[in-house]
Amino acid sequence: MSTTPRPDSAALTPRNVSALLQDTTPWLSCDECFERMDSYAEALVHDPTYRDEAMAAHLRGCAACDEEAESLMRLLDGR
Amino acid sequence: MTAVSRDEQRSNTSVSSPPSDAPGPMDWVEALTGGGPEQSAALRELHTLMLRAAAHQVWRMRPALPDPSPSAVDVIVNQAADEAMTALLAKLHTFEGRSRFTTWAFKFAILQAATEVRRLQWQHREVELRDLDVPSAPRHEDPELYAEGNDLAAAVAAAMRGVLTPYQRRIAIALLVDGIPIDVLADRLGTNRGALYKTLHDLRVRLRAELTANGYLPVHPANPPDPAPSDARSRISPTPTAGTP
Ligand SMILES: [Zn+2]
Repeated sequence: MSTTPRPDSAALTPRNVSALLQDTTPWLSCDECFERMDSYAEALVHDPTYRDEAMAAHLRGCAACDEEAESLMRLLDGR
Repeated sequence: MTAVSRDEQRSNTSVSSPPSDAPGPMDWVEALTGGGPEQSAALRELHTLMLRAAAHQVWRMRPALPDPSPSAVDVIVNQAADEAMTALLAKLHTFEGRSRFTTWAFKFAILQAATEVRRLQWQHREVELRDLDVPSAPRHEDPELYAEGNDLAAAVAAAMRGVLTPYQRRIAIALLVDGIPIDVLADRLGTNRGALYKTLHDLRVRLRAELTANGYLPVHPANPPDPAPSDARSRISPTPTAGTP
């Protein structure tokens, strides 16, 4: 006798669900993110209203690049 | 004026002044490739910058280190600065001056240091690629949050089962549920951050399409700055993924 596996929805917290359903469009790769990170960080430190939608989408969806971009901005900002 | 001080004048941001052994009045790329004592001075100055950015990053992530003592931090900082400098010099020809050179240099040290801290953090931990049915280790989440998100969570689990491949499910769970850092997972799987992020992006697109078709997500989604608390179905916030260092 076998049992059909059931979706383990209880294992997904709202935080997990948010992360899984994060809208990461427009597409930007980690390499492109790294290429643009310096000018993006400078622009954002200089003007907090600066927008780069592809960078913002990538950073919402990629925890590692997000940490590094945040760190770079803090370093530039002297924080 | 030194390479650094000339670089500083291109921007209003507050990076500190150059060290006293700065090279002569030439730009960084010239100084670093020109040879002679000026190149040596520029290399020393660059190394100082790398140490500074690596130290900034390692101290930021210090609580994640198995040994957070200042001497252990110092070792990691020096190693990361050296490796970042090698990586930077290999890419020197790609510097286009869209930012200050110092900012461009910092990002190499930050990447190297962050990757090294994550590696050390997971050095003695097993990385498991599990599917949705395999329970994870117990977590410490607020049980009320579980209940609130349950309807959407069930829909997401069903969509993961329905539209994702087993590989996509395992990568999604490892990165976004179990919080394994992307570099660590990439290293263990013999791939790289970019390839895993592409997998993540593709599976998110599939999941969003399925959840949109099922009425759980709006047809023309914006990225709201905050989750809408009144409706569990729209609790999709731009929070960083799990695995944040
Ligand atoms: Zn990334």
